[in-house]
Amino acid sequence: MMLTGWLLFSLALFSIGLYAVLARRNLIAILIGIELMLNGASVNFLAFNAYLSKDPAVGQIAVLFVIGLAAAEAAIALSIILAVYRSRNAIDVAGLDELKG
Amino acid sequence: MSDFPILTATLLCPAIAVFLTLLIPGRHEKAIKSVNALAGLAAVVLAMIAWAAYDRAVGGFQMMEDVAWLPALGIRYTVAIDGVTVVLNMLNAIVFFTGVLSMWKLEKRVKEYFAFMSTLVFGVFGVFFSLDAFAFFFFYEVAVLPMYPLIAVWGSTRKEYSAMKLTLFLMAGSALLFPGLIALFVASGGETWNILEMARSGAFSRDFQIFVYPFLYVGFGVLAGMFPFHGWSPTGHVAAPTAVSMLHAGVLMKLGAFGILRIAIECLPEGAAYWAPTFAVLATCGIVYGAFVAMRQTDFKYVIGFSSVSHMGIVLLGLNTLTVAGTDGAVFQMFAHGIMTALFFSAVGFLYDQTHDRDIRNFGGLVSQAPVAVSMFIVAGLCGMGVPGFASFWAELLVFVAAVREYPLLGILAIAGLVFTAAYMLRVLGTAIYGPVNPKWNHLKDVDAWSVTPRAILVAVLVLFGFFPNLILDMIRSAAGGM
Amino acid sequence: MNPDTLALASVVAPLVGFFLGLVVFRKHHAVAMGVVLMSGAVSLVSTALLLFGGPAEPHVVGARWFTIGDVAIDFGLLLDGRTRIMGAVVALITMCIQVYSLGYMKHDPGRGRFFAFLALFEWAMLTFVFAANLLQTFIFWELVGLASFFLIGFWYQKPSAVAAAKKAFLMTRIGDVGLFVGLIFLFQSTGTLDIQSIGAIFDPEGLPPAIAPDRIEWIAALLFIGVIGKSAQFPLHTWLPDAMEGPTPVSALLHSATMVAAGVFLVARFHGLFLDAPTTAQIMLAVATFTALLASTMAMVAKDMKRVLAFSSISQLGFMLIGLAAGSLFAGFFHLTTHAFFKALLFLCAGAYIHHYGTNDMIAMGRAGARSMRITTIGLVVGGAALAGIPPLAGFFSKEQILGALHGPGATVFKVAALAAAFLTAYYSFRMIFLLTRPNDASAAEPDEPAYAQHAGDSGHGSDDHGDAEPWVFRFPILLLVVGSVGAGFLGDRIGALLGIEHIHHPTFVEMAPAIAVALAGVVLAWLEFGRSGARQAGFVSRMPALRTFFERRWYIDEIYERVFVRAAVAIAKLCYGTERDGFDAGADMVADGTARVGATVARGHNGRLQWYVGGAIVVTAALAFYLGRLS
Repeated sequence: MMLTGWLLFSLALFSIGLYAVLARRNLIAILIGIELMLNGASVNFLAFNAYLSKDPAVGQIAVLFVIGLAAAEAAIALSIILAVYRSRNAIDVAGLDELKG
Repeated sequence: MSDFPILTATLLCPAIAVFLTLLIPGRHEKAIKSVNALAGLAAVVLAMIAWAAYDRAVGGFQMMEDVAWLPALGIRYTVAIDGVTVVLNMLNAIVFFTGVLSMWKLEKRVKEYFAFMSTLVFGVFGVFFSLDAFAFFFFYEVAVLPMYPLIAVWGSTRKEYSAMKLTLFLMAGSALLFPGLIALFVASGGETWNILEMARSGAFSRDFQIFVYPFLYVGFGVLAGMFPFHGWSPTGHVAAPTAVSMLHAGVLMKLGAFGILRIAIECLPEGAAYWAPTFAVLATCGIVYGAFVAMRQTDFKYVIGFSSVSHMGIVLLGLNTLTVAGTDGAVFQMFAHGIMTALFFSAVGFLYDQTHDRDIRNFGGLVSQAPVAVSMFIVAGLCGMGVPGFASFWAELLVFVAAVREYPLLGILAIAGLVFTAAYMLRVLGTAIYGPVNPKWNHLKDVDAWSVTPRAILVAVLVLFGFFPNLILDMIRSAAGGM
Repeated sequence: MNPDTLALASVVAPLVGFFLGLVVFRKHHAVAMGVVLMSGAVSLVSTALLLFGGPAEPHVVGARWFTIGDVAIDFGLLLDGRTRIMGAVVALITMCIQVYSLGYMKHDPGRGRFFAFLALFEWAMLTFVFAANLLQTFIFWELVGLASFFLIGFWYQKPSAVAAAKKAFLMTRIGDVGLFVGLIFLFQSTGTLDIQSIGAIFDPEGLPPAIAPDRIEWIAALLFIGVIGKSAQFPLHTWLPDAMEGPTPVSALLHSATMVAAGVFLVARFHGLFLDAPTTAQIMLAVATFTALLASTMAMVAKDMKRVLAFSSISQLGFMLIGLAAGSLFAGFFHLTTHAFFKALLFLCAGAYIHHYGTNDMIAMGRAGARSMRITTIGLVVGGAALAGIPPLAGFFSKEQILGALHGPGATVFKVAALAAAFLTAYYSFRMIFLLTRPNDASAAEPDEPAYAQHAGDSGHGSDDHGDAEPWVFRFPILLLVVGSVGAGFLGDRIGALLGIEHIHHPTFVEMAPAIAVALAGVVLAWLEFGRSGARQAGFVSRMPALRTFFERRWYIDEIYERVFVRAAVAIAKLCYGTERDGFDAGADMVADGTARVGATVARGHNGRLQWYVGGAIVVTAALAFYLGRLS
């Protein structure tokens, strides 16, 4: 039953992150939400790896990749956020609707 | 001689013209025009050589060239020529050459214009020569697409609308066509796109043929101005500049009919037999309907546009008789109509260039203001009425004889269409060409020696084949051996 | 000379004349006219030599033109009795008219073109007459129509001339559709295009065994539709009166030896076929008799001289067809020949009067002194009397043959009607003569158009010298035709021999009596009403104003056509046009607009909010996951 507990934990992390991404209007908060979602996924990997996999290294490698990606993504995202802030003095996502069809 | 790749050379004429046109700086307009005119002349010469070199006694496909293009998909560059395409090749070359000459006075964006126009011609040549269904489709699209910029940029009278309408209709046709072609490819075993091999494979069951045939027929038929999918054609004619109208009605619409003949009927004979009566009815509707609509039009170009619908109906009726005589007549009509409409549009373009008016009611007694130019129009009108002594008489004769035999009622209706055709032609002649002179156009300059050349060529061709139809019929008939 | 060469020369010369006149010497009227005259002379000489010294047996000059499949098309000139007579008549009349036109069109700015088209007309007609196969027949039948279109509409600035040309072309084209289908059927049934072979099938007594009788009926009926159009028979007769909008020489040509004669000649050409189709022959007889009567009633009230002549042409063409339909090739053909002379004569006289007096109105011309033009008046009297069937002029003999052909059961009613038409013919012919030559002060007749009216305005007439009313170019053809109108009647035996008819019935006096009686009665009535001094010059029809108006308005047939057929065509055209604009075009636009609107609607969902997009992506992913999970 420990696996279920870990899965519930990762689900909770992911859901909180998702909520942040969907509902928050501040770009920084959305970025944090994305990080939470990535971490939720990572926990999920680790949990399955620990309880079900024969080879303990696989899940960990995946998580390392995720962390690496998250770092890169955070760097890019923050620079985009900075650029947005510079151009419009706000990081409120509601104003960013240039992609409107 | 036999080793000379004459078809590829013909294909290269417009291609080289496009290439050179793009290289020459846009301000050297004369040079650009000359290059394209020379390419047209070269194409005419090559078409004549092909005509002469084609061995009628042997018949079938000759001067074959075959190179792998995309081997992984079984696509090859296979070009060859038979009696039908010898004739259509000549048509395209003549219209190309005279079309360039008709646009000699063009001033707006000359470079781009000729680049697009020659691209179009390149595509048309490719369609006529290709024996590979994929290459056929490829060239077909190459021929169709330049119409959009040509009309939208250099046209008149609601040009963007017309260009868009034309493109959408033709794309819709292609959308039917492509699945049909892929179905042929897959059903024949997925190894070859060669039309002849697919036709001979015997892989198409009767049900398959009946299912696929309408895709191909309607897909090509849209381009052939098939009733009731003809709406793009008159609008396009009206908006297009002179040479584009000439190419459009003179050659491009023939591609559709040619596609029906070369791919749809050739590969799916049982499907054709099943659908022929239905499509023959539609073709006859087109003949009569086009004539009646033309009777109400007041714009020169609309009249001619609907006359094209009517005349292309004759082509389609001929094809749908599925007889040798009907097919001969249809191909002959493609040729005759091509030359005739080119002449029509050339004459109207001449008027429009000077007057910027195309409403027949605003003219009158033109024959005394510009006798030579207008005589050309009269010749085209007589040809359109099917008067003996001009090429289209023979074409219509053959189609009608075949149609009366296969579908007596439709045949008689189509012949009765001649009365309506005469009615609208005479209306134009009576209103604009004859009748009281409108002094407003007294300043009208008649054609000079230079601009009479392209028109004189077209008239000469119409009369030549009007008196000696055997020149062309023997050629078309020799194709029957290979088909 | 070799008949082959002669035949070829006779048809090639006008073509060369046409080409040189229209294209090469476009700007040199005198040269063009000279060339055309020379070509006409060549044709005349060769056809005359052919007529008198042609081959005894039917003979074809020809060459393979081309082959379509297994059908060989020859271009051939068939020389037999029918073609030799007709060819000579065509060439002679054309020559007369070309000479006459030298004077008539002397000052017309388009005279070179006019002569070129005359040559085209002659070429088309001669080649039609000599045609050795069906295809050639049809081609030149069409070209005859085309040439008449150009000539009727020669004064193209006159709207009425253009309208008349259009009408002529369209109405004959309606007939052509019938002819075309008929020829296709004929070809399918006989398997040959050769006219001689077709003649060999149908000419012998009895029905041809290989072809079903009702098929023959169909073919004959379809061909007859063509004849109705070309020879201006009811119900397609209305183009011919309008066709006199063309210059008068054209009318002369059109009414005598070319255009309208083509229809009758076609029936004569395929006479065997028509005789094998008894029902069609009966219909033809009925139509022709009715037309003969109908047109006579119109002629007896018209004041326009050319109109009287036009109606009389329709009526006389009816007579020819009566003869042919009644089974006598000789009668119909004989009348075709004699009529060519006196009708051409009458039109040339009319032209001379009109040219000088500047009006078409007979009453006005008579009062202005028409009879002072001596030669013309002689021509008028001879031509009119020949038309009326007064012995011993040409029209008498041929009309007598036609009336004689009407015998046997069921023919009585036609015979009576034909006699009535003959009576009216004599009446209106002499009405015309008397109105022109015997004006009097007691006359109650009112001219519609005063004399010299056409000289005032620019009627396109193109004449500005009226010094010599009868130049030699007028006198010579008129006198020549006078001789023809007098003499042609005595050529019956020769014509019969050329047609291969061994025994021609020469009617006895008793048989001739009714025809002479009705003709004389017509003349006497015309004398009483128009000729004697103090005549009121109002016909007996005037006593019944309603009937007179009915005749004057040509039985309202034109109005009916205008209201019914023209309007129907216009209505259909409107319908099609509406369908095009509101149906196909609007439909296509609607599809396009609909697509665009769907696009716009979908685009509205793309509000640019990233969070919405992400949410949408997650919902779809979740749904997909759920669905895939269920599948497994």
